[in-house]
Amino acid sequence: MGHIAIEQVRCKGCGRCVVACPKNLIEYGTELNERGYAYVIFKGSPEQCGGCTLCAVSCPDQGIEVYNSRDRKVFVNTTGLTEVMTHYCPGCTHGVVHRLVAEVLEEMGLLGRTIGIAPVGCSVLAYEYFNFDMFEAAHGRAPAVATGAKRARPDRIVFTYQGDGDLASIGGNEILHAANRGEKITVIFLNNAIYGMTGGQMAPTTMPGQKTTTTPFGRDTADTGQPLRVAEMLATLATPAFIARGTSHDAKGTLKTRKLIKEAFEHQAANRCFSFVEVLSTCPTNWGLSPNEASDWVEETMIPYYPLGILKRPAPEAVKA
Amino acid sequence: MSKVLMKGNEALGEAAIRAGCVHFFGYPITPQTEIPEYLCKRLPEVGGVFLQAESEVAAIHMVYGAAGAGVKCMTSSSSPGISLMAEGMSYLAACELPCVVINMMRAGPGLGGILPAQSDYFQATRGHGHGDYQCIVLAPASVQEAVDLMTLAFDLAEKYRNPVMVCADGMIGQMMEPVEFRSEGRGPPMAGNDWALTGCEGRPRRIVNSLHLAPEQNFAYNVRLKEKYDRAAREEVRFELYGDGRPDVLVVAFGTMARISKSAIDDLRREGRRVALFRPITLNPWPYAQCRAAMDAMPEGAKVLDVEMSMGQMIYDVKLAAEGTRTIEFLGKAGGLVPSPDEVAARIRALLP
Ligand SMILES: Cc1ncc(C[n+]2csc(CCOP(=O)(O)OP(=O)(O)O)c2C)c(N)n1
Ligand code: SF4
Ligand code: SF4
Ligand SMILES: [Mg+2]
Repeated sequence: MGHIAIEQVRCKGCGRCVVACPKNLIEYGTELNERGYAYVIFKGSPEQCGGCTLCAVSCPDQGIEVYNSRDRKVFVNTTGLTEVMTHYCPGCTHGVVHRLVAEVLEEMGLLGRTIGIAPVGCSVLAYEYFNFDMFEAAHGRAPAVATGAKRARPDRIVFTYQGDGDLASIGGNEILHAANRGEKITVIFLNNAIYGMTGGQMAPTTMPGQKTTTTPFGRDTADTGQPLRVAEMLATLATPAFIARGTSHDAKGTLKTRKLIKEAFEHQAANRCFSFVEVLSTCPTNWGLSPNEASDWVEETMIPYYPLGILKRPAPEAVKA
Repeated sequence: MSKVLMKGNEALGEAAIRAGCVHFFGYPITPQTEIPEYLCKRLPEVGGVFLQAESEVAAIHMVYGAAGAGVKCMTSSSSPGISLMAEGMSYLAACELPCVVINMMRAGPGLGGILPAQSDYFQATRGHGHGDYQCIVLAPASVQEAVDLMTLAFDLAEKYRNPVMVCADGMIGQMMEPVEFRSEGRGPPMAGNDWALTGCEGRPRRIVNSLHLAPEQNFAYNVRLKEKYDRAAREEVRFELYGDGRPDVLVVAFGTMARISKSAIDDLRREGRRVALFRPITLNPWPYAQCRAAMDAMPEGAKVLDVEMSMGQMIYDVKLAAEGTRTIEFLGKAGGLVPSPDEVAARIRALLP
């Protein structure tokens, strides 16, 4: 039927693919690759593998290619990403979300027309990974930078890629007003309920009771407020917009999120409206969980509070205007 | 070309368009608000972009985005707003993005007052934000000069790929004067922006970035920036020397204060007194050598008087120029008060032999 090729050197041994494979054909390995990670092994035979691609979809590190029964590649790594191996921790889904953005832009033929903006946060090095023109930006200011770039080059595709500390805390004003002006930009908002880069402090999105380095006894909402639902807040604005929330914690959710990201860029390509996709993401390192436990935590703790789906679409009249 | 009577702020707005800048991002603050109010009407007429930002923080980062995308762009503000722009100025300089920032200085500190002042001299010349960066700073003393310096500001911004600040005060912004624009219509777009982010179709991709984690790499970057600032110091110094060649009192002042000092100097010279004015036009790079030459031309015992609309900020540069060869006297008022020509004249008189 099918088979997969695991690129040993790219594998960080996070085990997300192990869980993603519906037929249990991937197992943890014991041998270390040159970067010191115990890479996983495909233990199945071609008859067993259905070529479903779910392992590759869950992989944050472009570590897996999938072939069908006629030995044709059915999961191809996108040219929207460079070959550079990311600095992300094993199982961090920043890599998954990067890939989704890059795949969508490639599919839409937009790579050569895109300007991306990544402010500080674990994704500050995104300019090393996205294979097109990129700005690095100051903490929280990406929507303002995007506004300037888009107003200067209205025929280009401009997007920001921001973390939750960045967008929901220090950059609260910039995102609010970019959305309210209806800037024709796309915002990819990676919500991992924590300040990843600075070592795991509380973010506005941190869950009640969640332990962080600045809430060592768990987030006390009486003292620090409730987690901020930015997508819901932006959806209350009267300005037409596409506002959605997806997840990257599992393969199924990731595939749905890809559709949301695609729709977001379609709205921009049609010069229709501001578009915003929040993506729930894992930070195994700062949550103190294994990659797969982190995925479970998204499912059990985050999704009930941050429901998935499309919160707002531009009304048809607005679309025409 | 004929002269038109215009308010300083509006003339600056028009001058930006004549210099080819048609992208403006700004936030209202007295005493510069007539700049955005003028441009919001004028820019659409020339196919430009006017955008009222949600804050000065956002405005300067919009400038970062537009400059990075390779268009001539600017913002304008006044003292408290410039404080908020400090972060963006550091990023713009670090990423070597050209832009122009107008500062119509008002009285500080804190909310201060809306009347003119020169109390942000340190801020303008010593950097607003963090890091070893510099900004080229131009200080006009009249509406006409402000208009002329706008073209220069955009040229220097492009030549050095660096933010340029036009540093005036509320007086120049609010004053009506006849001005002449030296060119017609919308000026040329940015030339040679082959570093800008425009989409990588048909060329290798580009990155605008100020993150250099490796210290050696970051040091090399700082050295390169410093070489650029040193080149500007060699090539871009501008000043005016006015009055006697061998004065008994040399006044050093910039902007509005230089203009007021000039009328004091004119009065004294009519009385046969030997007085002169040294006026830096570039506050950074500062004309140290030229000011020193003017001091060296003075007779033994002649005095230098630094006059500012502040508690004394530029005086440190005048002292640097003197290198201990002269004592520097100071006359200054802050808070929105401006030393009058009579006050300046009286002080000069007291210093005359
Ligand atoms: C003005 C400023 N303040 C603070 C920082 C330090 N800082 C860098 S990243 C970051 C938090 C990033 O968290 P988030 O946006 O959630 O991204 P993540 O790393 O979790 O992906 C902070 C506080 C900074 N770079 N600039
Ligand atoms: S998901 Fe990717 S990085 Fe993680 S174990 Fe599988 S192949 Fe390796
Ligand atoms: S610290 Fe968290 S967000 Fe940052 S790379 Fe590691 S897992 Fe990802
Ligand atoms: Mg985060």
